[in-house]
Amino acid sequence: MKQTKAFLILLCMVCVGIAFITIEKYKPTPLKFIIPKGWPKPAFDFKRNPLTQEGFELGKKLFYDERLSKDSTISCASCHQQFSAFATFDHPFSHGYNNSFTTRNAPALQNLAWQKEFMWDGGINHLEVQPITPIVAENEMAETLENVILKLKRDTAYLRMFKAAFGDATINTQRMNKALNQFMVMLVSSNSKYDRVMRGEDTFNLPQRLGYEIFKQKCASCHKEPFFTDFTYRNNGMPLDATINDIGRMRITGNKNDSLKFKVPSLRNVDITYPYGHDGRFFTLDNVFEHYRKNMQPIHTTDSLLKNKLYLSNFQIGQVTAFLFTLTDSGFLKNPKFAAPAYSKPTILHQH
Amino acid sequence: MRKNVTLYMLFSLLHVIASAQNNTVIKLVHKVGDKTLQLHTETYFNQFNEPFTVHKFKYYITGLQIEYENGKKKYTFEKPYHLVAEEDSTTKMITLNKPLKNITTISFLLGVDSLRNVSGAQTDDLDPMKGMFWTWNTGYIYAKLEGQSDSSNAAAHYFSYHVGGYKTNENAARKVVLKIDEKSQSPINEIAIEADILKWFVGANEIKISNAAVCHQPGVLAMMLADNYKNMFTIKAIK
Ligand code: HEC
Ligand code: HEC
Repeated sequence: MKQTKAFLILLCMVCVGIAFITIEKYKPTPLKFIIPKGWPKPAFDFKRNPLTQEGFELGKKLFYDERLSKDSTISCASCHQQFSAFATFDHPFSHGYNNSFTTRNAPALQNLAWQKEFMWDGGINHLEVQPITPIVAENEMAETLENVILKLKRDTAYLRMFKAAFGDATINTQRMNKALNQFMVMLVSSNSKYDRVMRGEDTFNLPQRLGYEIFKQKCASCHKEPFFTDFTYRNNGMPLDATINDIGRMRITGNKNDSLKFKVPSLRNVDITYPYGHDGRFFTLDNVFEHYRKNMQPIHTTDSLLKNKLYLSNFQIGQVTAFLFTLTDSGFLKNPKFAAPAYSKPTILHQH
Repeated sequence: MRKNVTLYMLFSLLHVIASAQNNTVIKLVHKVGDKTLQLHTETYFNQFNEPFTVHKFKYYITGLQIEYENGKKKYTFEKPYHLVAEEDSTTKMITLNKPLKNITTISFLLGVDSLRNVSGAQTDDLDPMKGMFWTWNTGYIYAKLEGQSDSSNAAAHYFSYHVGGYKTNENAARKVVLKIDEKSQSPINEIAIEADILKWFVGANEIKISNAAVCHQPGVLAMMLADNYKNMFTIKAIK
């Protein structure tokens, strides 16, 4: 009896010891998320998905990994390019699998931690399920989740990185998406000239200042500071393109009153996210201004603020444009932390 | 002394194995009227004499709960979300980890509760990998019935019912409560529950394949289908 007791006690000690060692081993480095001064509390649930250096690095590797697509040619970063604030540079539509095209303009990825719904129509209700959409879409990455997870499981680098990020080497959709989310919520753009002026560290020149005054009067009710969007869905008078037939928010709500409403896009880094509009129909900011003052076609769902169009003189357009250029955050666009990891192939950018 | 301990351990192990065999099992049997469902090969007829084959039949059972000991006790199945798929027979055998008797009700949510629809990526049977998830308009597909029918006006005569929706005016999750009157002396080995696909077409609403061959989003049609199919279950045998 004594012997057994002693044995049991010993066994217990060994077990506790093993548990202690494994707990000891999983010690990811917490990553601090800094809320810029004066900004509201993020919507992202940091308790559900605590940011760590390991999770962020894994997320970055996934974001830049072409193997997430069917023929291993397209990564998230193929369409979301850092130098374009993670929009697709100079393309109304992005290239997807097998010479296909998206039917919407890829938006910039920035300040996602404050966003509750995603896509132009807000159809996605949680950032954690968002990566599934491009992975399985036939005109984006055209892959199945099963295959993606299989590919990741076959790669020892991933097994190691999932273990470092989450404590064990389990790889599943949830963990992949959590890691991608960690990378994406760190994409904070809050250090443009505008931000520095607001913090009292810099000053606008005259056209920028005049432009800011006009902006606050005519644009800020929708393009609200500090995100330059109020995250609502509105129709700004862009007529339906019958070849695409995109009804916007109505596709999600089924409500006729939401026809042709799209999420108010942020204007941060707007200088380098052209073309503009949900379908990229405007190639330049001037095209957008012409739309607001002349070409727009108000219908019953067009925002009441725009029922009589939005007139700006050429002078004013010059000033507002000067102001909009102060929203470019070159530190964000060039931050090496967000660039392709050194050990993966550089993202292939097609030229044409 | 040592021998005794080993013997004791051996016995308790045997005991565990033996009692495991006695645990109550719920067996789901998929039918089309009085015929047992065969994927792909069989042609069936619905109440409107529309011919159809079935390629896929899947649904979520959430929060399965059983009242036993004549309603005095409640047992909650340890797996909160269980996806049943015709093509995977293991999903049609739900082994409870307890032998139960004098069962009065079996209840569950047919679908997925609203909270899980808005809480990010889930795991296990709720992994979006299972194909029961809308990616362009976040939300779970609670039940899927797909096949072909000459009555369908959709491409290649497919018909495809994907039912889901969690928002206030679109909620398609339905509570199912099955009553039993069973007075057995010893624990039940098996309860066979039949799910009849013909119930998708009639009941609260008449749904003809010729009128509505496709349901791929939450809304009125999805809720009409849910109101029909929530009555597809009947308890057939208790052993
Ligand atoms: C083929 C191009 C393409 C690829 C590849 C792609 N995206 Fe996108 N992305 C888009 C387009 C286009 C949209 C806008 C879609 C819409 O509104 O319906 C978008 C939207 C988004 C949004 C929503 C942003 C917002 O403000 O609402 C996020 C987040 C995002 N993508 C992340 C990713 C991630 C993560 C990946 C890789 C798993 C990825 N994207 C791969 C083109 C792409
Ligand atoms: C009533 C709300 C509202 C007002 C006022 C408004 N906008 Fe917009 N703006 C929108 C919406 C909505 C979109 C997206 C429309 C779409 O693509 O369908 C948009 C798109 C844009 C875009 C394209 C951005 C991109 O990345 O695609 C620019 C640039 C823009 N607005 C600038 C302005 C300026 C400058 C003003 C003031 C002169 C202004 N807007 C006033 C709602 C508004």
